Amino acid sequence: MGQVLSIRVIVNGHAHDVLIEPYLTLIELIRDRFGLTGTKKSCDMQVCGACTVLLNGRPVSACTMLAFEARNASLLTIEGMAQGETLHPIQEAFIEHGGLQCGFCTPGMILAAKALLEENPAPTEAEVKHYMRGNLCRCTGYKRILESIMVAARRLAQTHNHGAPEA
Amino acid sequence: MLPPFALEEPTSVHEASALLARYGETARLYAGGTELLLAMKEGLLRYERLINIKLIPELAGLALADGALHVGATTTHRGLERSAVVRAHFPALAEMAAHVANVRVREVGTLGGNLCFAEPHADPGTLLLVHDASVALAQQGGARTLALAQFFVGPFEVALADDEILTAIQVPALPAHTAAVYVKYGLLERPSVGVAVAVTALPNQVQAVRVAVGCVSPTPRRLWDVEGLLSSKEVPAVRATLDTAGALAGSAADAVTDLHGSAEYKAYLVGVLLRRAFEQAYQQAIGETPSDAARGRGTA
Amino acid sequence: MRCETQVTVQVPRQSVWDFLWDVPRLTACVPGCEEVQEIVPNTRYQAVVRDKVGPFTLRVPLAVEVLEATAPVRLRARAQGRDAAVQSLVKVELTLVLVETSAQTTTLQVGADVTVLGKLGTLGHGVIVRRGEAIVTQFASALQAALGQEVT
Repeated sequence: MGQVLSIRVIVNGHAHDVLIEPYLTLIELIRDRFGLTGTKKSCDMQVCGACTVLLNGRPVSACTMLAFEARNASLLTIEGMAQGETLHPIQEAFIEHGGLQCGFCTPGMILAAKALLEENPAPTEAEVKHYMRGNLCRCTGYKRILESIMVAARRLAQTHNHGAPEA
Repeated sequence: MLPPFALEEPTSVHEASALLARYGETARLYAGGTELLLAMKEGLLRYERLINIKLIPELAGLALADGALHVGATTTHRGLERSAVVRAHFPALAEMAAHVANVRVREVGTLGGNLCFAEPHADPGTLLLVHDASVALAQQGGARTLALAQFFVGPFEVALADDEILTAIQVPALPAHTAAVYVKYGLLERPSVGVAVAVTALPNQVQAVRVAVGCVSPTPRRLWDVEGLLSSKEVPAVRATLDTAGALAGSAADAVTDLHGSAEYKAYLVGVLLRRAFEQAYQQAIGETPSDAARGRGTA
Repeated sequence: MRCETQVTVQVPRQSVWDFLWDVPRLTACVPGCEEVQEIVPNTRYQAVVRDKVGPFTLRVPLAVEVLEATAPVRLRARAQGRDAAVQSLVKVELTLVLVETSAQTTTLQVGADVTVLGKLGTLGHGVIVRRGEAIVTQFASALQAALGQEVT
């Protein structure tokens, strides 16, 4: 068939021009073409959330999305959360509050949490649980993930209130 | 990797319909792809062409007109979930949409795609049936409207001509003093049992009840006999009839024994969910408990 | 899963039994069955079964083995194969019992144990159960119709 699409994707703030097949999946683009392996392929059927990335700020399953859907869009992977050596408050909260053990689900958890807190900066626990329902963890039992997100929410709110730039 | 296919990106319904007519079964319409791409990844479906319909303006949009909701086919579940208009006027729809699959599927999956794929274990069709929803269908030659109840033909099968496209879902306003509720149950990735009701009631008097069951039956379906049992009665009489109605609903649901459970178990759950849905809808109809969505509260 | 049904025909039991060994006519009663080949007479056969549910098509090459043939009462066979697309295993254990209800009438009891393993089995289980039941019912009806034509 040989159809090839030329697309521009802004990945973690950097523009990339790539030639892709229409049937390339987003996770293949991210992991195989861009070499960003923080996004994990786990269930490969969009139920576990390990492949969560943010497309124009919205959480999507990279395993079950076609890569060309990221054209002219802003793509955020876990590699884009930290600024150099400075971790994002969500990452810090996860580390401080034991929101990860093996770490496999963690990139997806953090990105989903970021999307949640941008949409709803002061969620109740019930709202966090509802939003995060599609991100599965086999290690932590979820309690500390919930705590991490609630702490992160408070910290992000404080940062905004004090007018300091968001880390 | 997915098996290779070419991408078509029509910008009008006419163009999309022409592509379907030209390529037949070797092509398939593609919107969110949350069902289609899964099946293609598993090797269960193969297409030489996917026709991306997300660039067709006519298929987008969510609007209220004369109390009725017009939902463009490419509206996502999240679009419904977060719409102020839907939360205010069709709170049960917003609530149902908020609980479809997970947030990632909701961000990408469309209502039109969900209805057209007609996976039996799905939510929207069941609730839309008790709203007497209809679907707008279009092709090169013209357009028509079909009651949703006639749209579902069988598992993974809908009443679409080969070159026909679902363009919108129309949801009429519920009658006065009517509340709709959808309840579901399941422990697997997809729901196992879904029951929707719309109850028209004044305090202590149930005027009309609409009932639909989904997930259990090959297609979502209205249960007319059950509706007859529960309508035009005082509330104590309705409550006394709920067991019988539940049993009738359970058998009318036409369950089979599969990985979601035995036929008997599912039939039993239909009765349980019917009772719960009725009580919730009745309370909302007489105004005692506004729905969570209408209050703007998130839910667990 | 197990599917069972039965039909009654106005045909003597021996005639029904003989019909079961008329492979082309018997397999014509199986919905979607084609390309039947005899490998070992009365023992081993090859067949291809096709089915379609919505957009999903299934094509399974089946190896058929006759396990028991107790004339003119009971026939048991096993058919097994994998569909090419998904490599899911399909296995059917079929039991046909012929009951002589009178000199001229026979009740044919059809029982099928159907197993579908692999992705097809998990993803489409409910659909498979319904299709299995439908196919067995259609098979029995087709048998009844074909045998009905035996009566002159």
